[in-house]
Amino acid sequence: MHWLYLAIAVAFEILVAIAAGKAEGFKNRKWTGITLASGAAATFFLSKALLTFDVGVGYALWTSVAGVGITVLGALFFGQRLNVNKAIGILLVIGGVVGLQLSGSA
Amino acid sequence: MSNEAKSSTNAWLSLLLAGVFEIGYALAVGGSEGFTVLTWSLVAVVFFLLTLYALSLALRTIDVSIGYAVWAGIGAVGAAVLGPLFFDETLTLAKGIWLAVIIVGVIWLKLADRTKPEAAAAPRSEQIADRTSAVQV
Repeated sequence: MHWLYLAIAVAFEILVAIAAGKAEGFKNRKWTGITLASGAAATFFLSKALLTFDVGVGYALWTSVAGVGITVLGALFFGQRLNVNKAIGILLVIGGVVGLQLSGSA
Repeated sequence: MSNEAKSSTNAWLSLLLAGVFEIGYALAVGGSEGFTVLTWSLVAVVFFLLTLYALSLALRTIDVSIGYAVWAGIGAVGAAVLGPLFFDETLTLAKGIWLAVIIVGVIWLKLADRTKPEAAAAPRSEQIADRTSAVQV
C-alpha cells in the first residue's frame, strides 16, 4: 500500500511541475490554483507513504522518481530533448531505487 | 561589495535557506503521521510556504537548473541524515549508499536540464540584460 501512496504522491508532484510552468510566475490564477492544489495532494499522499517508509528513503524516492517523470514526460509531450546527461541521471535514479529495494532498505 | 555580488550572495543564501526549509518540510510531513498530528501538520504547511518563497527569491538570480539541483540535494541529504535523529529509523550502510546513488541521480538530472541551445546561442549582453531585469522585479 505504501508504494501505491508513493506513486500517487509522485503523480501529483509531476503535475505540480507542469502546472507551475504554466502559472507564469504565479500570474496565471487558474494554473497557480492547480499548482497549489496538486502540491497539497502530493504532500498528503507523501505523508501516507511515510507512515511506512523512512522519511529519508520515502522523500528521496518521491523527489527523484518525480524528477525522472518530469524529464520523460517533457521529452514525450513537451518537445524537450532527451540527451545523454539526462539518460545518465534517469539510470542513476532507477539503479538507486532498485538497489534500495533489493537491499531491503525501502 | 558591488550590487551584483551582493544580490548574488543574497540569492545563494535564499537557496540554502530553501534547502533547509525543505528538510523541515520533509521531516514535518513524516512527523504528521498521515496528517493526523495537528502540530506537525501545521509545521509542514509553514515550511512548504517558506520553501516556496525562498526558492522563488533565489531563482530570480540563480540559474533554474542549478538552483533546483542544489535545493533538491540539500533536502534529500538532510532528510536522510536527520530522519534517524527525529524518528525511530536507522541509516544503514546499504541504505546510505543506495540513497546516495539516487540523490546524485536527481542532482545530475536537474543539472542536465541546463543545456538549452537557444539560451547558449543568445548574445551575452542580452543574457545579462535579462538577468538585470529579473533582479529588479
